[in-house]
Amino acid sequence: MSYKVVVAGGGLIGASTAYYLTKSGAEVTLIESKDIASGTSGACDRAIMLQSKKPGPTLDLAIESIALYKELEAELETELEYRKSGGMIIIETPEEMAAMEHMVERQQKAGIDVKLITGKEAQERQPGLSKDLIGSTWWEEDAEVNPLKVSFAMANAAKSRGAKIKLGTPVKRLLTENNRVIGVETPTEKIYADAVVVAMGVWTPKLFEPFGVDVPIIPRQGHILVSERMPSFLHTGILSAAYIANKLKRNHQSEDPDPFGVGLAIGQTHSGSLLIGGSRQFTGYNTETNPEVIRKIGEAAVRAFPLLAKARIIRAFTGLRPYTPDGMPILGPVEGMDGVYIAAGHEGDGVALAPISGKIMAHMVCGENSGMDINTFSLSRF
Amino acid sequence: MDDMIICRCEGVYLSDILKAIEEGASSVPGIKKRVRAGMGYCQGRVCQPVIRDMLESKTGGEKMPPQQRAQTPVRPVLLDDMIRR
Repeated sequence: MSYKVVVAGGGLIGASTAYYLTKSGAEVTLIESKDIASGTSGACDRAIMLQSKKPGPTLDLAIESIALYKELEAELETELEYRKSGGMIIIETPEEMAAMEHMVERQQKAGIDVKLITGKEAQERQPGLSKDLIGSTWWEEDAEVNPLKVSFAMANAAKSRGAKIKLGTPVKRLLTENNRVIGVETPTEKIYADAVVVAMGVWTPKLFEPFGVDVPIIPRQGHILVSERMPSFLHTGILSAAYIANKLKRNHQSEDPDPFGVGLAIGQTHSGSLLIGGSRQFTGYNTETNPEVIRKIGEAAVRAFPLLAKARIIRAFTGLRPYTPDGMPILGPVEGMDGVYIAAGHEGDGVALAPISGKIMAHMVCGENSGMDINTFSLSRF
Repeated sequence: MDDMIICRCEGVYLSDILKAIEEGASSVPGIKKRVRAGMGYCQGRVCQPVIRDMLESKTGGEKMPPQQRAQTPVRPVLLDDMIRR
């Protein structure tokens, strides 16, 4: 008899977990309250920037994840728009330069070959960049992918390997018996399983509240602007140093001088649209766009690429990124509750970390050795 | 040839939309995320009512399928005009 696993949540992480679980031979049911990629995974950008990861366990995971991405299009027989594009973090002020010099030094120590280049070199690599930049980082291993395509392709692959996928089906609560999770309850039925993986991103804590288990994931809102189609001109993924500074801030309890956390993150889709971000702000579960934030992101974009003043914006949206206090995802079991696992809390690293997160969860749930030290990511660290 | 273009901005055909519904899409955003209908220059102003009708006929018209959320800017705007104070 095969091992029955329920995966709660049909975003990138849930779809990936379901896919790798079917590869491990589990009998999988994926339960999603709305639709595949209808939450955070459908409101993000396409960057797989390793440079933006904190040197340490998260960066190690990202490197493993990239290795999986390289094989994934062939494995899933689907075009995912994966491309090794290289990436830059552009630098506008001497203060940013000092911070980036420090970061690059740490990355080089961690074995990553990130380089600092001059503003002029940056312009040669990426025409259209402002002459006012004083420098940039460059790393050729940064990549990009279409997260919608990854979500759907993983869910479809899981399905063709026998997984049941229940869309439009919210998980109302976890079913327990003597401190053991034995399944989930939906509005129409009880689904029993040997294990449950909760991959509900920013909505994860609500499922554990009734058991007195505190899952410290907080929604952090991010804006993205979408431009009309433009001729292909962005060759690399681009972030600004201000973006990195905001990303690394663990400030959910402090008063911050820049409450919007605006920093530039820009990429171009296959269709030609630009995705221009971003912001980082704690606004609860509110997904309304804020005109002031949109303006500030626009200013950052035009400062970096003056020619974008003439680009038309067709849409703005926000997504809720699952922030954790230490900036690392939660991947692992829950102390005091058997049979349940959490795979959530990736904030802005979910696109990069989706394949490895799914693979790790599948190995963990099926009792296989993943060959990685995953205790670092357990909930009990908080 | 009984196929036709439903979303002109993104060149999405009727058959693409039917396939998305078959795959499980039950809302306008669900179709959009699978096949890009409504993702382009007009942001679904033209194709959304047609797609909504298609979804409604699939679900038996019991309840209105969720629609795409209207977002700023309500029409394409130059970035220059957006950032002008």
